Amino acid sequence: MGSEHLSNNVRRLRFENDQMTQEQLADKVGVTRQTIIAIESGKYAPSLPLAFRIARTFGVPIEQVFQYDNEQT
Amino acid sequence: MSKLQKSAWFNLGLITISSLFALLCFTVAASKIEKGFNYINVILCLAMMCIIIPLTLIIAKKKSYEAGFDEREKIINQRATSLSLSGLIITLYFACFIPFVALGGGNIIKVVYLPVIFICTIFTYQLIKSIAIIVQCALEEQNG
Repeated sequence: MGSEHLSNNVRRLRFENDQMTQEQLADKVGVTRQTIIAIESGKYAPSLPLAFRIARTFGVPIEQVFQYDNEQT
Repeated sequence: MSKLQKSAWFNLGLITISSLFALLCFTVAASKIEKGFNYINVILCLAMMCIIIPLTLIIAKKKSYEAGFDEREKIINQRATSLSLSGLIITLYFACFIPFVALGGGNIIKVVYLPVIFICTIFTYQLIKSIAIIVQCALEEQNG
């Protein structure tokens, strides 16, 4: 569940998209607000389908939302 | 409060009240059984109903709740289930081995204690599961 090497721009993208609230994003991608909070704070690494749904909601490629730091692999 | 937390609190409350009431019924039944109490079967049936009705409610609500869980909540639920299964096995172990050690292999115990063991096992399972869910959610909220 931890995501040490996964960073994301969800918070920034929310604000760039008409200051979308966590609740609105959660409703659009079909998860709870708590899950969005956990993703934003890096405590939860979303599944690939959810990551794609988030990226599509913002209309950007998935790489712009999530970045994987592979220096330690 | 998410559906997961609501279901955990609901199950915790329901199973606590029903288990306490069922244990009370069994305690009364166990104390009266040697005195030839006429309504002993009524009390035992009542005690079993105290377990069967809430269990049916929990199972019936389980599907509707779990349909609303998202992927993170499913992981929390799975962790809690694994933990509570361990608790269930430990409870069963102690329920079987404490009488064995205390009374010895050649002794006997009253059959009325078997439902008590059953209640304790179910109670432990649901208690650990509900608490594990509540604690995990609380920790995430605290850190978030």
